[in-house]
Amino acid sequence: MGRVKVKKKDVFIDMTAMSDVTVLLLTFFMLTSTFLQKEPVIVNTPSSVAEVKVPDSNLVTVLVSPKGKVFLSLTGSKDSTYSSEKMRLSLLESVTAEYNKHYKTPVSFTDQQKVTFARSTVIGLPISKLGEYLDLLGQNKVEKADELTDPEKNPNAGIPIDMNEDLNNPNEFQIWMNALYDLPGDAAFYDDIISGKAIALKADKSTPYDVVQVVMDNLQTLKMNKFTFMTALKTEK
Amino acid sequence: MAKEKVRQKKMTVRVDFTPMVDMNMLLITFFMLCTTMIKSQTLQISLPSNDKVEQKDQNKVKQSEAITFILDSDREAPTTDKLTGQPVKGKVKKDLIYYYEGQADIAADASGALTNNKLKVTEFDPGTADEPAGIRKILMERNKEVVKQIAELKEHWRNKEMTDEQYQDRAREIRNDSTLTRPVVIIKATPDASYENLISVLDEMQINSISRYQIDRMTAVDSAMVLDYVAKHGGHK
Repeated sequence: MGRVKVKKKDVFIDMTAMSDVTVLLLTFFMLTSTFLQKEPVIVNTPSSVAEVKVPDSNLVTVLVSPKGKVFLSLTGSKDSTYSSEKMRLSLLESVTAEYNKHYKTPVSFTDQQKVTFARSTVIGLPISKLGEYLDLLGQNKVEKADELTDPEKNPNAGIPIDMNEDLNNPNEFQIWMNALYDLPGDAAFYDDIISGKAIALKADKSTPYDVVQVVMDNLQTLKMNKFTFMTALKTEK
Repeated sequence: MAKEKVRQKKMTVRVDFTPMVDMNMLLITFFMLCTTMIKSQTLQISLPSNDKVEQKDQNKVKQSEAITFILDSDREAPTTDKLTGQPVKGKVKKDLIYYYEGQADIAADASGALTNNKLKVTEFDPGTADEPAGIRKILMERNKEVVKQIAELKEHWRNKEMTDEQYQDRAREIRNDSTLTRPVVIIKATPDASYENLISVLDEMQINSISRYQIDRMTAVDSAMVLDYVAKHGGHK
């Protein structure tokens, strides 16, 4: 008796349709996505029923870590005349000038450092230490640079801030924030600061109130009485 | 030579899309993990200006309308930060809200205990929609005229009798209607309170349609009242 030959079937699944779907999905994700910004501390914001979205342009985020370290990030307008890079560049220039007016040890930045600063997203060091950080970033030593701004690894991370109501002797946080008023050009940015849309306070749920109060008091001193709290969405029961 | 058509062999062009799909899947995974789909919400706040206001220019709040909340958290014993050696506040054990109506006047007896401490304590738990509890119940009762009108308005809006814009405008009108009895809420917080509590309270303002509220600093009288309350009722301080 002859063996029954099992016919070998060619198992070939047509992947074209699958490929179509994945490409569509990919396009969707690419177009809708905004990348997670790298932040020196991970904060878990509390939730609220507020429905106003965070603006994607003309925004200064004041990030407050649970231990009271303060970080700033600046997003410029969509208009390329006042893009984030250009605004950061002029911010650094006016801050340097202002800092040298009030502090005894003057700082200055090289052109290379300035360019690096314009590209970096987070400001989170005393001005005197900023040069070192920018050098590391410029040499692509991102990990080492991140260590500098990480409050878990560097006790000097964060922008120095204290209770101070005398703007003739401003602390560094006040210098940074005050410089925002005179950023050249974009009138919309100034209006947004005045109306409170442009300043967002982002802090962790567990942050003690005294830490938040220092920041709020500073903003009040700077006449930035209106600002927003960044929160996550909560659905009302 | 006779012209002979060269018969082209028809080949089935079948491209294997499997690697393409694999790659797409990888990319999709990457985009899914690296993006934020949900944007943060913002809660707008205006702090009172720091400028000294002339006594006569100030709008005095009617005693019967004012209610002051003092946020506090019961925390575990503080620990020390390994890196900086600075004390760090312990974890929150329980959140508390003290509140009193009108103005705080205190008088002490010979032993230093207050004789007229009107501080009461409540909780954040808002209860259910039918049976509000804690802070929500307190606010709802005080703002019931506004809450009732807003609820009626919402009903009309849900039945599509008005546009969103009309609804918003009308709601704003009701919230600011001075013929209705509306409370003035003053929010204060002890240094131990957490940021989350502050947001929760601000959130309650939105939920209960309260138009007049402000964040203020603790005064010596407030602190004395809290300390006295804790001394009498037992607690953490």
